[in-house]
Formats: sequence, structure tokens, C-alpha cells
Amino acid sequence: MNDYFISMFIDDELDLDEKIEFVEAVHKDKEFKNQSVELLEQEKLLQVDVGISMAAMALPIKPRAKQNIFRVWWPPVAGFATACILLIGFFMQGTVPVENSKELRRFVIYQPDIDQARIVGNFTGWSPVAMEQIGDSGYWSVSIGLPEGEHRYSYLLEDGQQIADPTVLARERDDFGGENSIIKVSSAI
Amino acid sequence: MDMFQIFYTAHRDRLFGYLLRKSGNYHLAADIVQESFTRYLEQYAEKEHNPALLFTIGRNLLFDHIRKNRSTVSYEDDDHGHAIDQEHILQIREEARLVFTALQQMTDDERDILSLLASSGLSYREIAQVTGNSEANIKVKIHRARIKLKQILKGHIS
Repeated sequence: MNDYFISMFIDDELDLDEKIEFVEAVHKDKEFKNQSVELLEQEKLLQVDVGISMAAMALPIKPRAKQNIFRVWWPPVAGFATACILLIGFFMQGTVPVENSKELRRFVIYQPDIDQARIVGNFTGWSPVAMEQIGDSGYWSVSIGLPEGEHRYSYLLEDGQQIADPTVLARERDDFGGENSIIKVSSAI
Repeated sequence: MDMFQIFYTAHRDRLFGYLLRKSGNYHLAADIVQESFTRYLEQYAEKEHNPALLFTIGRNLLFDHIRKNRSTVSYEDDDHGHAIDQEHILQIREEARLVFTALQQMTDDERDILSLLASSGLSYREIAQVTGNSEANIKVKIHRARIKLKQILKGHIS
């Protein structure tokens, strides 16, 4: 009998023949049985939720003074906006104050060759809001509190060019020949 | 809900649990979770979702961070409680905290394996893939790590 069958039992890795062997060993060998129980008890403690739900962790949203772990910035991930927004609170820069009923969304765009980037959307009243340059990384960022619901926006580059958010798949043409990205903000996770 | 959102919801806490157990640093783990999903999405968005790849990315990011910083971080010393619900932390049973501390006394490899087991929901085959072991080898390593943890907890090693 291989001792590591105990671990394989704990981890649901035994096939049927091995299970038979395991049960017989537990029945015959008291030390083996005790070892199995002790390791199972240990596993229960190991698997205790140390993780405090990440959603809980991300609230309330407030800027952290702590240094950022990563110097390189990455564009925000599309498609899971709501979940992401809460967590990205850790990295807030260029933050617009958030009311309780709003969720903070961080918009990021990579445009290394321009000197000014702005965002325009229904949540800015379609007035351009300046984005902040993130060091010399080429990324521009702004965080804006968004109420629940559907939102449309695009980025304005310094040459007047309007572009949709490349990280968001949902888009629609506006009445002026441009394209807006569409995101949905739903209630907290 | 799109496929990525389902994947994200299903694996976020698992990845966080793994990185927290492995690093002992709450904020670092949270930051790397974010970074991991972002990189995962950038690289693998077109393919079928693969948790082993996500854990590999998270594991590599943590390696990179530790290699760059070389500073010892500890769960106890970090200010992990400041931004979160303190009461929730207190609810973690003392015994579990002992196990968590014992985990930090193990070698990187041992802690890596036990953290993956406790958190990831990955199979032995996938854990072998993530950690660069053979499937036969991982069985033995897993069991040895468990036994060693038990010995540490009993005070045989410290």
C-alpha cells in the first residue's frame, strides 16, 4: 500500500481499484487509518477560507497610498466590468469622486504617441473629460463613478479622432459617423 | 453572462486563495489576481478557458515579483487588515492561522503544491503541468508535503 494513496483519497484522485485497496488498508491498519484522519483534519484547516471574499475586500472604494506592485500598466479587461471595477479600485489614479450608489470604473487606453487623451460619454454629459498620462508608459487613465445601467462612451485623441474602447466588444455607431463602446454596470457582485 | 465572466467568477477566489497561501501577502495576492486575469485574457481570449493556464500565469507573476523584490513578506506583518473587514479576519479560526503560518515555514515548492491543492480545484495532472512535474512525481511530492506540514504543526520541525 502506497502511503500517498491517503493524499490521493483526499484529493479525489483514486480510481476504483485503488479505492478498494485504500478502504481495505484503512480497515486493517490502524496507523494508516489514523494518519488518514489526521491528514483529512489538517486539510480542513488548510482549506479554510483565508481569502475573505475579494468583493468584500474591494469595498469601500478608496485610493490606496501604497505603491503599485507593477510598473507596467495594462488595459482594463473587457466584458466583466462590474467585477473588475471594484478590484481596480486599488490602482486608482485620476479619480473622479464616487457616490455610494455608483461604481468606479477605470478607463485605460494605450496611445503612446499623443499628448492629450480625453473620454466622452453619457456619464460625462458628452463633454470631454481629460485623462491622465500614466508615467511614460503610453497609457492614459481616468476613473469615473458610474451609476447602474448601460453606458456609452468613446475616447477623443488630440487630433480630434474619436475611437471606441478597444477592450470592449459591444459597440454602436453614433449619429456623427463615430463609434461608441457600450458597457453595463450592474449592482455589486 | 459571457464565458469569460463565468470563468472569472469561478476562479477569482481560488486564484486569490492560492496566491495568498503561497505568498503570505494579502495585497500582493489581490494585485496579482488582477494582473493574472488581464494577461490571461490578452493571451488566451480566443481559446477555450483553461484554469491551469490562469494559475500558471499567476504563479509566474508571483515568481517575478519575488525575484525582483527579494524582500521577505509575511502575512502577519503586512497591513492586510486595513482595507478590509477586520471582523472577518478575526473569524478565521486560530487553528487555521497556525496552519497558514506553518505553510510559510515550508520550502517554496512544498508551499506551492499545497497552496494549489487547497485552492485551485485543479487535478494532479493539471498541478503537475503548472509546476513542471511529472504526474507520477507529483503524487509523491504532494503526500510528502502534507506529511511535512503535519510534522511542522506538531512541532517536530520549526
